[in-house]
Amino acid sequence: MTAKGKKKQATGKATKKVQKKVQKKTANTKKVTEKVTKPGKKIAVKTTEPKVVTKAATRPDFAVVGKSPRRLDGPGKTTGAATYVDDLRVADCLVGYILTSPCANARVKSIDVSKARAFPGVHAVVTAENFPGDNQVGVVKLDQPLVVSDRIRWYGDRIALIAAIDRPTALRAAALVELDVETLPSVHDPLEALADDAPRVHTEGNLAAKMVVRKGDFAEALKQADVVIERLYSTGHQEHAYLETNGILAELQPDGGMLLRGSMQCPFYVQKIVARVLQVPHSKVRAVQTTTGGGFGGKEDYPSEPAACAAILAKVTGRPVKVIYKRDEDIARSSKRHATKIKHILAAKKDGTLLGAKAEVYVDAGAYLGLSAIVAERANASAGGTYVVPHVEVDTYTVYTNNPFGGAFRGFGAPQVSFALESQMDLLAKELGRDPLELRLQNALHKGSLSPTNERLRDEPQATQTMEIARDRCGWDKRRKAVAVHNATDRYNKKGIGAASISYGCCLHAGGQHLEGSASLVQVHPDASVSVAIGGAEIGQGAYQVMALLAAESLGLPVENIRVLDTDTSLVPDSGPTVASRTTVMSGNAVLDATAQITQRMLAVAAKHLETDLKHISLRAGQVLIDGKKSKLSVAELIALCFTQKVNLTASGWYAPPRKQWDRETGTGQGYSVYCYATMVAEVTVDTVTGLVTVDKVTAVHDIGQAIFRAGVEGQIHGGVVQGLGYAIMENLVVQDGKILNPGFTDYLIPTSMDIPEIDIALIEEPYDRGPYGGKGIGEPSLIPVAPAIANAVANALDLRLYDLPLTPERVKMAWDARELAEN
Amino acid sequence: MAIELILNGEPTQLDAPGSARLLDVLREHGHTVGVKEGCGEGECGACTVLIDDVPACSCLMFAGQANGHRVDTIESLSQGEPHPLMDAIVDAAGVQCGFCTPGIVLSAKSLLDNNPKPTREEVQVALSGNLCRCTGYHRIIDAVQSVAKNSQAKTRRP
Ligand code: FES
Ligand code: FES
Repeated sequence: MTAKGKKKQATGKATKKVQKKVQKKTANTKKVTEKVTKPGKKIAVKTTEPKVVTKAATRPDFAVVGKSPRRLDGPGKTTGAATYVDDLRVADCLVGYILTSPCANARVKSIDVSKARAFPGVHAVVTAENFPGDNQVGVVKLDQPLVVSDRIRWYGDRIALIAAIDRPTALRAAALVELDVETLPSVHDPLEALADDAPRVHTEGNLAAKMVVRKGDFAEALKQADVVIERLYSTGHQEHAYLETNGILAELQPDGGMLLRGSMQCPFYVQKIVARVLQVPHSKVRAVQTTTGGGFGGKEDYPSEPAACAAILAKVTGRPVKVIYKRDEDIARSSKRHATKIKHILAAKKDGTLLGAKAEVYVDAGAYLGLSAIVAERANASAGGTYVVPHVEVDTYTVYTNNPFGGAFRGFGAPQVSFALESQMDLLAKELGRDPLELRLQNALHKGSLSPTNERLRDEPQATQTMEIARDRCGWDKRRKAVAVHNATDRYNKKGIGAASISYGCCLHAGGQHLEGSASLVQVHPDASVSVAIGGAEIGQGAYQVMALLAAESLGLPVENIRVLDTDTSLVPDSGPTVASRTTVMSGNAVLDATAQITQRMLAVAAKHLETDLKHISLRAGQVLIDGKKSKLSVAELIALCFTQKVNLTASGWYAPPRKQWDRETGTGQGYSVYCYATMVAEVTVDTVTGLVTVDKVTAVHDIGQAIFRAGVEGQIHGGVVQGLGYAIMENLVVQDGKILNPGFTDYLIPTSMDIPEIDIALIEEPYDRGPYGGKGIGEPSLIPVAPAIANAVANALDLRLYDLPLTPERVKMAWDARELAEN
Repeated sequence: MAIELILNGEPTQLDAPGSARLLDVLREHGHTVGVKEGCGEGECGACTVLIDDVPACSCLMFAGQANGHRVDTIESLSQGEPHPLMDAIVDAAGVQCGFCTPGIVLSAKSLLDNNPKPTREEVQVALSGNLCRCTGYHRIIDAVQSVAKNSQAKTRRP
């Protein structure tokens, strides 16, 4: 299908005036490429330009917002000039090495580092015994020693920190550390960990946190129900596999403070923990984010730990210390997407109306709390999905085990629960003999309905729209029939098509709203160039480009005039983490708050100079306009004029959303500031001989408010779909008795260029009135529906449901063969 | 040992143990930090260099193996007029975190040098040794194809 010239594109709602706009084709992006089919070879995939569906009668006429100017950080990254932390060169720098535990659970009898310390080239060995600071850390709860003293709880626990002249020296010294332990029985399953006689990871017990949703009365739903679907689901750990491993450089400052530069998603966390560990005020700790090679949540809280280690070693040695993880170290020590077990019950009437959802969610936190309870909060809030469900009962248990620890990962607890719920929806449809998409449409949240967490939604939900557009765009009915016809005759290559729909609360949950404020600093220079600093981080997603576009639009300057500075705790106050798809809204609004102050001052000068009233003046694309028409003054000239008149063109900006009303006891109320809706349809081929699932196509329909950096929106969707595909069918972290057996890319497989599906995108652009120029988030909604859509497509292909992610070839094959055996 | 090689077109002598990884020697002694380490086991392609125009994982090579060879890193493509692939990959929005980008540009260059008109599938195959966790690959593949197309347009013109 070509994007241009094809007018006929049903959007589903005939009653609504839906204006469709086909995005302009850029010179080098392809709409459609030929399908090449060679026997036995993978089909080359095509991509299409995203379709824009907007309901506003006219789309706002922006100068730069919504366009795709080339990324300002692109050239540096392409030429190799961009400086990642390991590219920093400082004199006298030592290598920091962290020695971790050889077992999952043990009492430490002794740690003897005397030989290691005496090894030539070693400058320091720090253990709990000689720890020169506060050894207790933790992002939410201080339940974790930076270096263990008497007790080991998982393989990632740190035994000793070593600073040496180079890595081989550090490794040799590490081998000389003598550790005497008494191993203890360990626990590796969250359900087993809750048993009374389970080994205790912490003395107070293994239940780290518990949260609930109580809406209506689920027993009542059961009473009224004609159909009840009850199943147990499990999801495995997922590794972030950002391409740049964790790394940090710590440099002691003359005043006893510390400068930390490195790969991170939240410099403020690093600042806070390092200040705590060194026992110095925040003002003396400066954390600067270097160009970061991917994060996906994995660099939210974890980088604080190597940062604190590097800082301690820098303090002890008085020399700069750099800690760079090798890939196996990174995988073994950093956080993972939580493994979960989920029991889910759906109750419905014969006609398909949902009555109730009940879920028990068991979240494997690992040995320390980290962000687990926060992640669990989102899992807890997602059990009813994007549907009208009168009775909801959720119990979410966050459980300590001796496993690798769970943390933030794109989707933050929602992907696991969405997999369970969206599988349930398909099972329900099957039970009722209904079309699964139609069943979703019947129950979708709509204007004025109460959400599963009992929130009267302020903004009109776009759930129905995303479903209808997805259905029409992929030719759902035709494809469902076509695969059925195909499968009737082909035993070996089964085809399937499946859908999944989500709503995702953009920005932090109400439970974390005390952290929900973000800052900016905007400085216009006399030559009309602009420096912008934000508290959000650029982790590849294009946040800086979004900020540049917003600042350019607001100041009436070309995008090239804007420079976004490396995120730095000394430039802006604590703005919280770069998570929850919140950067566009939070940092974006903060930038606009600053630029609004500056433009106000500029406009006053312009009005006086042009001898007209303020209300006639505006700035756009380098020109000062009077009543929308070019004046004799350019924005650059106006800026110069402001400087000669000594007008201050620097401002700091701030944004905090309105307070949300939330009841922790019942888990109900206003969970989030705003929701993003998405529906995806996946089409797959399953080889019944090998169990291999190939994802042929994903249709992704997203409600995004207003696209700010359009190519970035598309990039997030492409990346999210492919990462979600990895989660669905290939990424299988093997954890045995708490030890990761495949800490490398040789046997932890992530998608390559050969594994990608065709991706067809449609965007619903309904501006969010509290977003910057109407923008919302996209980072996480682009991943969450992928795995359930694929799982549903696989179930459709095989007429066989799998309940455990990932759907590896082994699992698919075993399930298929088991049924064949049973039937014959 | 003294390793003699033509590094990015310049005859260069690097003083390093022959058993050191070429990756480390290029980063530490060659000042070519565009060569990245993503995995250290030949899986991700972030460390890709061209040895006599053939892409190789520098993390799997001893420095001594480069002795007497031409070694090109991403830095060689930015000397003077930047290689059209570099512009194309930015224009196509094929760069996000950028950590994979230098390796990908080198693999793609080698492909285009040998096969100026690759099909989409051939590009996919050529890049299959370069992992990218951010972009989902489509826009990178687009970029490579756009360069192929433009260079054909150029050669067709008299
Ligand atoms: S670092 Fe060489 S292939 Fe990954
Ligand atoms: S752009 Fe981040 S790994 Fe490719």
